[in-house]
Amino acid sequence: MFFRMVRGTFARQWKKMLMIAVTVALGASIATAMLNVMLGVGDKINEELKTYGSNVTVVPQSEAVISKLYNVENGDVQTEFISQDKLGELLTIFWANNITDFAPVNDTTVTLDSSEVKLVGTWFNHHMEFVKKGTTYQRDTGIINLRSWWDIEEGGWLDEQQSSGDEYAMVGSQLAKDKGISAGDTLRVKGENGEEELVVAGVFESGDDEDDCIYTTLSAEQRLTGTNDLIKKVEVSAITSPDDELAVKAARNPSLLSGDEYDLWYCTAYVSSICFQIQEAIPEASASAVRQIADSEGKILEKTQLLMTLITFLSLLGATLGISNLVTSGVMERSAELALLKAVGAKNGQITLLVLTEITITSIIGAAAGYFMGYAFAQIIGQTVFSSSIEMSGMVAFIVVVLVIAVTLVGSIPAVRMLLRLRPSEVLHGGH
Amino acid sequence: MSKLLELKNISKVYGDLHALDNVCLSVDKGEWIAIMGPSGSGKSTMMNIIGCMDKPSTGQVIFDGKDISKESRRKLTEFHRDKIGLVFQQFHLINYLNAVENVMVAQYYHSMPDEKEALEALERVGLKDRAKHLPSQLSGGEQQRVCIARALINSPELILADEPTGNLDEANENIVLDIFRQLHKEGTSLVVVTHDPEVGEVAQRIVRLEHGKIVSDKKNEQFSEQQEVSL
Amino acid sequence: MNKKHRMFIRMVMASLVRRRSRMIVALLAVVVGATILSGLEMIYYDVPRQMSAQFRSYGANVIFTPSGEGYIRPEDLEKGAAQFSSEELEGYTPYRYENTKIHNMPVTLAGIDFDSVLKTSPYWHISGSMPSLDGETLVGAKVAESLGIKEGDDITAVNTFEVTSETDTSDIPSYELYTDPESGETYCDHELDLHVSGILETGGSEEEYIYVSLKDAAALTISERGYDIVELSVAAMQDELSETVEKINGSSVGLSAKLVKRVTASESTVLTKLQSLVFIVTSVVLVLTMICVATTMTAVITERRKEIGLRKALGALNSSIIAEFMSEGLVLGGFGGVIGSVFGYYFAQFVSMNVFSSSITFRPLLIPITIAASVLVTGLACLIPIRSAVDVDPALVLKGE
Repeated sequence: MFFRMVRGTFARQWKKMLMIAVTVALGASIATAMLNVMLGVGDKINEELKTYGSNVTVVPQSEAVISKLYNVENGDVQTEFISQDKLGELLTIFWANNITDFAPVNDTTVTLDSSEVKLVGTWFNHHMEFVKKGTTYQRDTGIINLRSWWDIEEGGWLDEQQSSGDEYAMVGSQLAKDKGISAGDTLRVKGENGEEELVVAGVFESGDDEDDCIYTTLSAEQRLTGTNDLIKKVEVSAITSPDDELAVKAARNPSLLSGDEYDLWYCTAYVSSICFQIQEAIPEASASAVRQIADSEGKILEKTQLLMTLITFLSLLGATLGISNLVTSGVMERSAELALLKAVGAKNGQITLLVLTEITITSIIGAAAGYFMGYAFAQIIGQTVFSSSIEMSGMVAFIVVVLVIAVTLVGSIPAVRMLLRLRPSEVLHGGH
Repeated sequence: MSKLLELKNISKVYGDLHALDNVCLSVDKGEWIAIMGPSGSGKSTMMNIIGCMDKPSTGQVIFDGKDISKESRRKLTEFHRDKIGLVFQQFHLINYLNAVENVMVAQYYHSMPDEKEALEALERVGLKDRAKHLPSQLSGGEQQRVCIARALINSPELILADEPTGNLDEANENIVLDIFRQLHKEGTSLVVVTHDPEVGEVAQRIVRLEHGKIVSDKKNEQFSEQQEVSL
Repeated sequence: MNKKHRMFIRMVMASLVRRRSRMIVALLAVVVGATILSGLEMIYYDVPRQMSAQFRSYGANVIFTPSGEGYIRPEDLEKGAAQFSSEELEGYTPYRYENTKIHNMPVTLAGIDFDSVLKTSPYWHISGSMPSLDGETLVGAKVAESLGIKEGDDITAVNTFEVTSETDTSDIPSYELYTDPESGETYCDHELDLHVSGILETGGSEEEYIYVSLKDAAALTISERGYDIVELSVAAMQDELSETVEKINGSSVGLSAKLVKRVTASESTVLTKLQSLVFIVTSVVLVLTMICVATTMTAVITERRKEIGLRKALGALNSSIIAEFMSEGLVLGGFGGVIGSVFGYYFAQFVSMNVFSSSITFRPLLIPITIAASVLVTGLACLIPIRSAVDVDPALVLKGE
């Protein structure tokens, strides 16, 4: 009989039930979309922050320091190097998937038209393969994503994959202006160990002292300096988690951590644990965080996440009130029906159970529909803002269902109780 | 006596169901008619047609010498607003307006709300002191009296009452019937739809409906202009 | 018509006031909608400003360099810096670079203003403390490593400069002249004793310098001169910055300004994404909230079908019923909009204080916008169900049940 009555309600009052289901669906879709965006926004913003360039630099363990100093003559006294074939080790570390880009950066001073110019040898769009213990690691990486702020004023990015036989280079805008260089020109540069002819692929504006530099391929630089297969510095861009207490503690000295703390630290993508892992993989190197980038990333991520959390909170509150509102009025509307049930002898408990069953079934149907709507909304947000899809967390489905059921019950129980306090005669004869 | 209302060969068909089947009826001005019959006999349909809230499928409705059965809905509404006062079984008061305001609503849609007139109408049904009460604070009888006051506020030519005592106890029933007598004495035409013989029998003329047809239409011999025991 | 208007208002108000519990339900829906609207509006408009301030943790985004040869004079720096509004200019740090020797190794020494450097380089990690007195120095980690300098050490910076016949040696307290045997030029060593108060770690090229106050730099070189470079941190977007930069470069101020592209370009990329994120989130939430308001209003109206039927039976025309119900809806919308604006403001303020620790900018224009939107949405949400409700057959509704 109970189920017949429940069925009866759905058959007769399907319009009202539909309305409640629609509202629940809307509320659930807000909750689903916002929770998923909130959980995913960290990764997305982190990827966006990669435009600031590398947040980790890797240099030889005991690099002689005094190079590259402002106006200091005789800068190239570097004696320590990382060997190029060790670079592939970067792809084998625990957090390798978080390393979005990396590129060796070898700088040297060359002579161009009898004046000294800084030249950097690096990878642009390099394809690398690394075989370790029978596994082949592959990666396309280079400086293009590490210098996203460059304005290409003339020509284009240097393409390492082309095979015309010429060596190419990119020239900073200031240098190009001073020397009257434009794309397509050939530069003759002289290094310690030889001479190279470089075809200018493009002129870039960087807004800092790189505007006075020549960027060319790593192999060209190595031939100029006679440092085959040797790397002076590697810039690494990695997606990291914002530093917290544990990370600060670990940064002082990882060996002071307790076993559990150490495991947690090692398995979290803190910039310090990534640096640590890089040093483990390449013992001759020393990896350190670029504070300007790493610190700021953490700060901005934290703020963005907090912002999204609070917006999510407001949306959830709104959705919650919206649902409980309609559920309450939905129950109130049925005063006459409930009074009738009471008049024919139904116990309060039975009536409550009946109403709650109906409402809960409606809500669950609504919530299920809302979850998929919310999925669609989350994807719209992901695609529009970040041009990538937002991962759906299973936890969200659980939270949404619990939330909806809780809200529905909270919204309907007081209304049912209120109605049950009314005397049936009042309701039935109250007249409208 | 001149005719107020004439139904000529009225039929109302809902699908296969003949709610009214070729009915003829005329109401004189100042006449008090009871339309009686069991459920499903077509009473409500007839009342809706008399009250200009529905149009017949075939036949003519002549009200005050004017054929209104072909008028537009809007004209019908205006016509009905000006000529007819409605009394309902369920009173249908607006629950968030107090007694006098409920009366004034009828004025508002008719012409011009006037609180003094509305209070006078309430006075006529003996509810002047309850004018500021909300329907929920009034008894069923009182609510019905407000409903009657609302029906007569615009001095309609016809009061159309649908089971006016259906939700009332006997004491209140008598009060309502007394008011009807009073109205009748003042010359207002009354059409009361009821299945309650006691209510029917106080009318001047009793029309019986069965299966959409008038089965009898006769003067009530027991009708008296005298008021019964007033409360 | 006066009485008629008064009755109209009386009915609308009676419905709003006496049907309190129902109206509160409806009002609550409108208030929630308006709160979300105004709260998110305010956050949306404030995000660029607030976030921009956060992005200042990347440090300087504009630099001044001398125009042509020479140095930046302090008065030119002041003129240049004045081009940025004082609210936006977080701070600026002048740098003068000198070559010096420590433990006989060449090192570049930078004279800076220690009070303002954390404004333009907030990412500096200092083990030890920031120099506060003259004679104290901050040593870059790489210099410290290669020269074996530790926090708390005392070091001596030596400046060697050429002495010619024009050199005024009276400023030099104690000196020893020596002559380069090859060139025959005369040199003099001037020494400055420094106490290492901290070691600087940044992971970048800043670690390759030692830092002293501008006064000590002048003392070491015995010359008061201008600056080589000035770093500025300005809380503004790239477009605005490049306008100001062009203005400065076009004026006769004796310096040239440059954007630090790495910071400004990246900031505008990320900030644009962030703002469009808040925008689309706001839109989605708003659309859903509006629909929620609409369904609630629909429920509220549908509930009153009987009353509509009665009014029709009393001779009301459809248009006047629509007018009455709409007025109720509009009052509700307006009232809800006002309350929602207030709540929204407090919510936005709450978010701003918690996320950015700064107060939100109050934008008065958003209040009328919120109220108008609230009235509009509530009105629309009422109009649709009312239009279908007035088509009821009064006879059917009144007979029902």
